[in-house]
Amino acid sequence: MQSPVFIAGVGVISALGTNVQDNLMSLEKETAGIGDMAYLSSVHRHTLPVAEVKMNNEELAGLAAMSPRLSRTALLSAIAAKEALADAGIPEYNPYRTGFVSANTVGGMDKTEDFFPDFLQDNQKGRLRNLVHHECGAVTELVADHLGIKHHVSTISTACSSSANAIMFAARLIKQNILDIVVAGGADALTKFTLNGFNTLMIVDHELSQPFDENRRGLNLGEGAGYVVLVSEKVANSLSQTPACTISGYCNANDAYHQTASSPGGTGSFLAMEGALQQSGLPPDEIDYINLHGTGTQNNDIAEGTAIKTLFEGHYPPMSSTKSFTGHTLGASGGIEAVFSVLSIQKGLIYPNLRLSTPMKDLPFVPETKFRKGVPIRHVLSNSFGFGGNCTSLIFSKI
Amino acid sequence: MTAPDLYITTHALIHSGAVYRDGELIFKEEPAGGTNGFFLSVYKALKVDYPKFYKMDNLCKLGFLATEWLLRDRQIAEEYGVENIGIILTNANSSLDADLKYFESVKNIPSPAQFVYTLPNIVIGEVSIRHGFKGENAFFVSEDFDAGFIRFYVQDLFMRNRVQACICGWVDCLGEEYKAVLYLVEKVPGKDKLIFDLENIQKTDELANGQFNERSEAADYSAIKPSRSQAGGYWR
Repeated sequence: MQSPVFIAGVGVISALGTNVQDNLMSLEKETAGIGDMAYLSSVHRHTLPVAEVKMNNEELAGLAAMSPRLSRTALLSAIAAKEALADAGIPEYNPYRTGFVSANTVGGMDKTEDFFPDFLQDNQKGRLRNLVHHECGAVTELVADHLGIKHHVSTISTACSSSANAIMFAARLIKQNILDIVVAGGADALTKFTLNGFNTLMIVDHELSQPFDENRRGLNLGEGAGYVVLVSEKVANSLSQTPACTISGYCNANDAYHQTASSPGGTGSFLAMEGALQQSGLPPDEIDYINLHGTGTQNNDIAEGTAIKTLFEGHYPPMSSTKSFTGHTLGASGGIEAVFSVLSIQKGLIYPNLRLSTPMKDLPFVPETKFRKGVPIRHVLSNSFGFGGNCTSLIFSKI
Repeated sequence: MTAPDLYITTHALIHSGAVYRDGELIFKEEPAGGTNGFFLSVYKALKVDYPKFYKMDNLCKLGFLATEWLLRDRQIAEEYGVENIGIILTNANSSLDADLKYFESVKNIPSPAQFVYTLPNIVIGEVSIRHGFKGENAFFVSEDFDAGFIRFYVQDLFMRNRVQACICGWVDCLGEEYKAVLYLVEKVPGKDKLIFDLENIQKTDELANGQFNERSEAADYSAIKPSRSQAGGYWR
């Protein structure tokens, strides 16, 4: 019998707000954070809606207590990670073996994009300082230093499943008795690079996205960060406030089908969910809520839906895609949705799947469309499926 | 951890309109009809039915074709188990061939079909999907073929018991220039008992630089001069 891994704290920043409280308020009011682009400079400003954190870099830097010259990814990461640590209420974490496992997919690309226009005009121009935090790991290092975490620092970048994999890896580090405390999750800022890339793939919705709708048109990109603080039993017992839940199951599987598309039957999604259930020892009918990957693309939603149809046949739990609120935050999505999953258990919440008007004809279930509270939630399944066929499912369980 | 004895059990080369397996010429097209035409001819000569080939960019086509010839008559997935087969590739031009073609398409409508090939390690994905491999893999970009690095990396995977067999080597394609040199490395000697050492890796690589021995006993490399820099062009 392996020892449990507890979730002691959560922190989140997204288009819904800069902290857990503001995010919860928007979720309860059923107000999405997606709209006209106000902060990113892009040719798509008036054509593609995005889910931006409603602050410029100076304001974010003020919240993070970091330099406004750093990558927006690092600022978002620091804000949510600090909230998670404060929420965990660990008075002094350095006597413990503490780690920071953070995911992202863009790194300091926003600053690299600031560098290039000048450089392309004249290769003697351009602020080289804008390039030094380009790679994904540099962003993690900046934030780890800011938090004062030294024992273990790693970065995971596996597209849209990145931060779910960071949480899975963190749980394993604690189970193997390598670390006592891990702040795990991820961050991503909106950049031209990602917006143009997803636009090339023709999967960006020109309107507000409609995940799991028969007439869905694609996804809206978002930005943000989400972290959970995972602790060992020893640390959990030392806390004044007992953790509300554990991470009871996790699994990563691969579709091995296509660079960016899921297999029609959702092989990878199915294997990830099935593996997570097996690890938690739970039958499918004990899952009380599924936080869907639910990007709103034709391909994801039918693949994920088909896998759920097979696995949960006869008992379809309430489910929804909170990307209808936050947009798809890529490397941050698994972290943000893990935070929402933990809050679902703590506070008995089920979030709505916004803008659902025509349920998908090929699926025998319909996602939740209304915010509900006071629901007894024991186990939540959270899905994060990425390009490269990289599929991860996490299960959080009430203690 | 001690290093097991490792052998190159098969090698496959594609270069200058010709395909060689274990030094033996198995396909040649003269004059080769450009990169696109030649790759199509090699595909047809394989007599396999894999329509996905037509969707691939040229780097993937080259890697696919070289692997098909390398693994012909073998069922390594069954022999070793799909999780025990590694793929470690290198080249000089990354996915530049696909990048340039994609960049060209951006002037009109950016092509999603080309965009998804703008990473070099996609070739590993295509080979893995074709054969069902799920083992360790990595793609490294370096200016020249670095036999020492390949040997170190692959040997390390064997030492750590991460692989029982490994496909490794060089797959590079840019415009009308292309070259693939792939090795199948195993713990059991092949018919030529070619040890997986620096000398044999380099000698095989040199074969692809125009010094082909077209007789079937070409595995005798004694005629090959040690110089690595005769081919010229951008490969070196």
